[in-house]
Amino acid sequence: MKVSYRITAVLVLAVSAFVVLYTGSSYKSMYKDDVIVPGPSVKEVKMLSDYFEGLKDTAGDTEVYVLEGEEPGGTLLFLGGTHPNEPAGFMTAVLFIENAVVEKGRIIIIPQADKSGFTANDPQEASPQRFSFTTAGGNRRTFRYGARATNPLDQWPDPDIYVNPSNQTLSGSETRNLNRCYPGRPDGTLTEKIAYGIMEVIRKENALVSIDLHEASPEYPVINAMVAHEKSIDLASIAVLELELEGIKIRLEKSPPTFYGLSHRSWGDYSDTWPILMETANPSQGRLRSKTNEALVLTGKDPWYVKAQKLGKLYVPFDENGHPIEERVGRHSSSVQAIIRAMEYFFEPEQMITVSNVPGFDELMANGFGNYLNEPAK
Amino acid sequence: MIWLTWSYWLICLGLLVALLLEVFREKNFWKQLSAAMVIIPLALRVLLWK
Repeated sequence: MKVSYRITAVLVLAVSAFVVLYTGSSYKSMYKDDVIVPGPSVKEVKMLSDYFEGLKDTAGDTEVYVLEGEEPGGTLLFLGGTHPNEPAGFMTAVLFIENAVVEKGRIIIIPQADKSGFTANDPQEASPQRFSFTTAGGNRRTFRYGARATNPLDQWPDPDIYVNPSNQTLSGSETRNLNRCYPGRPDGTLTEKIAYGIMEVIRKENALVSIDLHEASPEYPVINAMVAHEKSIDLASIAVLELELEGIKIRLEKSPPTFYGLSHRSWGDYSDTWPILMETANPSQGRLRSKTNEALVLTGKDPWYVKAQKLGKLYVPFDENGHPIEERVGRHSSSVQAIIRAMEYFFEPEQMITVSNVPGFDELMANGFGNYLNEPAK
Repeated sequence: MIWLTWSYWLICLGLLVALLLEVFREKNFWKQLSAAMVIIPLALRVLLWK
């Protein structure tokens, strides 16, 4: 039987069109915003463009949640989602926004610092697009697992070599890495504008302490750690001691003076804030991981990492229990609260912050993360 | 860099149109199929979906 080549042309194009529409709808679905249900202390939800107008109507504009107590006090800023493939930072931000009761002072939270990065996955990583939790009321809450850096659709092309705003020379792809772009440039790339916007939040809101929440591969040396600028190293030391008493082992590292462009360095160099960066162990972003899926993101269990631990290749303990999201968010949550408490040794009484009702490490490990998420609006 | 982005987009669009025409001109089924497979990432680029 002889089939006309025009018919086969239509057939193969129909298959192509189906694949384009099917995969395209999957890619486009990443643009649907995550739902955050503000808790009792959220007084205002601003946008980053309120601080730096250059971000208005761009993919870099993102929500800034202001949690404020009845009594005036100091201001602390913290960021989740600097790297959207490090979900514990984002989830810790959500935990505070939905639960925290601030009695004194203000906590400003940017849960998705590089929001553009939440609209795509990293190529060739096979990362899941989303992960979900079940709330106490039985509802499902789903959040995006994004890419490490700004979506190339929003910022392209990458240069061969990137010279960041602090004059540090880096590989080209770092041009889209928010945590290499500080203090930002008001007339720079999208990522540099986001960095500049965050610096403006720090400066305009007079944030005494600023924290950047991250995760790292289990084979990365800086892990289960706080990295502190020389201004904030004593504050971080007190927090680490307190965490040690609670049974949470955390390493303290001093921010290297030449790590220009990173939050723990440049926030302190270019503003009055005291910066601290934190890392937990996330096997879903590691190089040695096995099957990459939602379960790995949530349970942190991975047989290949167990093997790597036995071979002495890791910087964190790793057994069959893995590093579940509850442990990673718990470490961040307890650490942020320990820093807030430690502020009393370094700032005036009228600059204190008092916060309650945020579950820490033990509560999250005992009850699960989903139990602390608010029910979504009908 | 906006001009560079749009230059890239126009090149992709041109290639996409050329490939669509090629699928109809080509008389060998396997070559039609190859062209149709190349169309997929190009179309996703032109639509700015990926």
